[in-house]
Amino acid sequence: MRGGTRRATAVALVLGLGSVLVLAGSSSTGSAVEPDARASASAPAYSETKTLQRVVTKADGSLQEFPAYTVTVTADQTTDLRGRQRIRIAWKGAQPSGGRASNPFGESGLAQEYPVVIMQCRGVDDPGRGEEQLRPETCWTASFAQRSQITRSDGEAAWRHDLDADETAKGRVSGLDPLPGADVCPTADIAGYSTRLTPFVAASGRVFPACQADQMPPEAAVGAAFPAAELAAFTDLDGRGEVQFEVRSDVENESLGCNHETACSIVVIPIVGLSCDQPSSPPTASDNACRRTGRFVPGSGNFASEGVDQAVSPTVWWSASQWRNRFTIPITFGLPPDACDILDPRAPTGFYGTELLAQAALQWSPAYCLRKDRFKFQHNQMSDEAGFTLMENGGGAAALVSSEQTRVGTDPVGYAPTAVTGFAIGYVVDKPDNAGELSTLRITPRLVAKLLTQSYLGSDLGRGHPGMADNPLSIMQDPEFVRLNPGLSRINQEVGATLLSLSNQSDVIRQLTDWVTHDPAARKFIAGEPDQWGMVVNPNYEGLALPAAEIPLLDDFVPETGNTCRQENPAVYFNQIAAPVTTLRRISEALLDAHPNVQTRCELDADTGLYKVGRIGRQSYGSRFMLGLVSLGDVERYGLKAAALQAAPGKFVVPSESSLAAAVSLMEPGEETLPFTLDQAAVRTSSKAYPGTMVVYTAARMQNLDPADAAKVAQFIRVATSEGQRPGPGNGQLPAGYLPLRRTGVTAGLYAAAQDVATAVGTQTPPASTLPDPGQPTTGPGTSPEAPTTVPDAPAVEEPPVAEEPTGAPPPVEEDTAPVAMPATTAISSRTAGLLLPLLFLGGLLGSLAVAGTRFLVRPPRQG
Amino acid sequence: MTLPGRTAPTRRAPKQAKATGPARPPKPPRAPRPPLTGTPAVTSSAATMLAVVCLWVFVQLLLLGDLEHERAQDLLYGQFRTEVASATAPVGPVVPVGDPVALVRIPALDLEEVVVEGTASGDLRVGPGHQRNTVLPGQEGTSVLMGRAATYGRPFAGLTGLEPGDTIEVVVAQGTRTFTVLGVRRTGDPLPQPREAGVARLVLATAEGQGRLAGLTPGEAVYVDAEADDAFPAPAGRPAAIPESEQLMASEASVLPLLATCLAALVLATLLVISARQRWSAVLVWLLASPVVIALAWVTTDVLVRLLPNVM
Repeated sequence: MRGGTRRATAVALVLGLGSVLVLAGSSSTGSAVEPDARASASAPAYSETKTLQRVVTKADGSLQEFPAYTVTVTADQTTDLRGRQRIRIAWKGAQPSGGRASNPFGESGLAQEYPVVIMQCRGVDDPGRGEEQLRPETCWTASFAQRSQITRSDGEAAWRHDLDADETAKGRVSGLDPLPGADVCPTADIAGYSTRLTPFVAASGRVFPACQADQMPPEAAVGAAFPAAELAAFTDLDGRGEVQFEVRSDVENESLGCNHETACSIVVIPIVGLSCDQPSSPPTASDNACRRTGRFVPGSGNFASEGVDQAVSPTVWWSASQWRNRFTIPITFGLPPDACDILDPRAPTGFYGTELLAQAALQWSPAYCLRKDRFKFQHNQMSDEAGFTLMENGGGAAALVSSEQTRVGTDPVGYAPTAVTGFAIGYVVDKPDNAGELSTLRITPRLVAKLLTQSYLGSDLGRGHPGMADNPLSIMQDPEFVRLNPGLSRINQEVGATLLSLSNQSDVIRQLTDWVTHDPAARKFIAGEPDQWGMVVNPNYEGLALPAAEIPLLDDFVPETGNTCRQENPAVYFNQIAAPVTTLRRISEALLDAHPNVQTRCELDADTGLYKVGRIGRQSYGSRFMLGLVSLGDVERYGLKAAALQAAPGKFVVPSESSLAAAVSLMEPGEETLPFTLDQAAVRTSSKAYPGTMVVYTAARMQNLDPADAAKVAQFIRVATSEGQRPGPGNGQLPAGYLPLRRTGVTAGLYAAAQDVATAVGTQTPPASTLPDPGQPTTGPGTSPEAPTTVPDAPAVEEPPVAEEPTGAPPPVEEDTAPVAMPATTAISSRTAGLLLPLLFLGGLLGSLAVAGTRFLVRPPRQG
Repeated sequence: MTLPGRTAPTRRAPKQAKATGPARPPKPPRAPRPPLTGTPAVTSSAATMLAVVCLWVFVQLLLLGDLEHERAQDLLYGQFRTEVASATAPVGPVVPVGDPVALVRIPALDLEEVVVEGTASGDLRVGPGHQRNTVLPGQEGTSVLMGRAATYGRPFAGLTGLEPGDTIEVVVAQGTRTFTVLGVRRTGDPLPQPREAGVARLVLATAEGQGRLAGLTPGEAVYVDAEADDAFPAPAGRPAAIPESEQLMASEASVLPLLATCLAALVLATLLVISARQRWSAVLVWLLASPVVIALAWVTTDVLVRLLPNVM
């Protein structure tokens, strides 16, 4: 077997990592490909079991008991959550649901029977000091129909016979006392009809009656920024179910107001149906309504949103007999992203660079800024190259990069491994027929090559593109993709023609394209050779030079169409589909919302009478299909799904701690203080290594760095590689999606390199071998123009040094007042200026003497 | 190079010789002066040319230039005074080159100069210049002024005599600010500390010489840093860079075509003088030609100066 020894080494190193990886071993949860290091089924963060039973009082006063269900609810993470983070909530033993809706979220999930209602609420069950009591009024819903029943006829007023409700709740109108007047809720109190309000109490204390859409909090407005997060989830025939529930902090939802100081909960209510009190004789319509047991058989679908029996629907989650069945999962939020700016008045020290570190930096920065003996760490996201340049010319203390960068200055730069993470191809793909979300997606380098070179047609509009008319419309119709991922819908969507990617330069793109070009099939495809199904590369991309740090948009095809809007707005069609964005975070959010960035919506704006182009709408639940390039940190934070990428031919690897570790074991150390390199050729021989594994380095100058900054950078490297590598959700800990750097095991080399660089940067004494030319440490008249006189930290100094630079703009930037070691004034001199006047005088003098000489010395002899 | 300046005098010798031959009745005849020929003639002509050119440029740089500078300052002062009074004086960020932008007073040196925009060699003939990619003096930020040290009125000649604590008063469109000198800075000295927020920094840049002829050999750049605690707001939008010719110690190579034109004009003047001399008397030619030739020589030298380092 090829690579046998290497694989054995990798296995040994992986085992050496110890129990963490054993815990993270993915065999426990059934979904073997979930890159879910935190979903350790052996000890979920929350688990509770309750027995739920529906009871109906008969006409004679005796009780009729329905079968009891012993339900267990688990959640994988409950502490230090961040806004929009998704946590996995699973349950078993619940009553199977019927009438499954295609979209369980928000209002569209109401037409179901026996679902499990999951909501985020402010408050806890047993409030301590300063905490709020959890109650239906503090639970968030995105529409009033999910919480209030307005103007219901008697046959739709089942809640009025709830066995556990008190007398006031059984009244014709209830929920808010006094009921708002007709000016606020005109339809609430109409004689002969029943109304039940569940008002929403905002964090500010304001009460929203929730009787119609305009009496809801602003975050519940139609077309709000974020889609509904609460849902009525479906329990399968085995009584099991599982969802990714997105929590909202007060940044996303101020009315709900959950943050690190306000206690909140996730409430899970398996609907078992209303318990009913003794019916009157003869039974009224509402007595009968309360006793209904559902129209849909378990496991059936209700895609037409037909009416359901109210007593077993999610609309009555607030009724006393359902509310008492709730599972309350207390959750806590981490510090908001701006905590350091608010809590620490010191000036931040900027580290500039890759977004791969974003989720780690979010948790790390409070561990620096909240301690007096540390500095205020600030991660500023930009492309690796820009960050590196900024660091080199003194604009930033250090850069965060993932590969060796081209050095333009003279100072030696050390790269300290700081975190092991990587990129992923995130996806959200629904299986056809409402069979749930796809959990394994296999991607080959050639598929990525096809997506990046805009070789799919998108729709019939793309058919006119010269040279590729017979290509598939999108990846779902590509036989290569279908063979790898069978059983998916082949209905074309424009978004299937693209991988949402970055528009700017990034080491992520470089590594992605490096992986692509190491695959012979992908290489041949880009070179112009058709694949075995006859698909050819977009001629505009033929022979594209890869790997590169940036994917250019090279297509220039403007389709000819009879569509007036497109005629008014001619645009390059494939670029509208690709529409790359500038940050990985935006790609993550697009995946989270299943909202592709495809800009092909073309419509008439009624207000102006002009045609305009815009982003297409969110995809509908059940037919979602979207691919995007994301960071592993985001994958874990937002519960995204990551595709399995091909390592060795035919072997597909998902990102996990073990596959990251396997890739790290393949990395070759660089020269002293230089980055490690991951050779994709080696990855192609491995069946375990994840090709998207990347190491984030803290790069800093080892000479001429301001001593204060040097100390900060060294401190950061040391802290980040020690306490910053403890996995966990808390301040200073390492979030999921990162492989901890340890002193021993597979990451030992990275750890040691980090310590070496920390010392070299801290003492500003680079290893001798990295010094390019010891004879030229200081600047002098002979300094080359692109090696600026290093102006440490304060690019502030003035222009005289600049005066000899061709492009010297003096940007006066303020800095703190501590005395700073300033560089010396550069020499500017001119021999012309120094010598001209004396020479002129001398010349004049000599000339005069010579004239006088010829006149008086040469002439007399002639005269004689 | 500067042939024409010297042609007039050298031509005189042979002409006089010719003239004396045919028509010169009244003068008491001295012994006829045989014209120089051969090597001595060439040597004499060349030496004369050398002397005239060198001395003319020397005199123009030191004396005539001074005159030119004084006149320009007089006019600029009037212009700037009017603009300040009528609130039309420029506040930046982009000011036409050559316009007055500030008035600098240094009591310790008994100096009062109007500062013009631009630091090219030609701009600095009329007085100190303001580097265009810096804020105006007194505005928040670092402002750089350059001035000549040895020629054209030598406004910044005494700059190195400033002591820390001396004051520099600056009048700009926004008002008056008084700077305190931080010190004189030469090659190798550390740059001053980074400027604090809200402070106006002023850097006066010029050149100085060494040794006994220090006043005539301004070859090394020297700076005076000064600060004022209270700054005027600076408008945004300054140019990010300035051309090479406006850097310290730079010269304007772009004037070469103009210089060639001036030299051609001098040659033409010379030819005209020669042909005029064949028809008219020497007195008449002298009378007519001298002002023209002197003016041409003056203009030519002014252009020539733009090829020299800007702060000398």
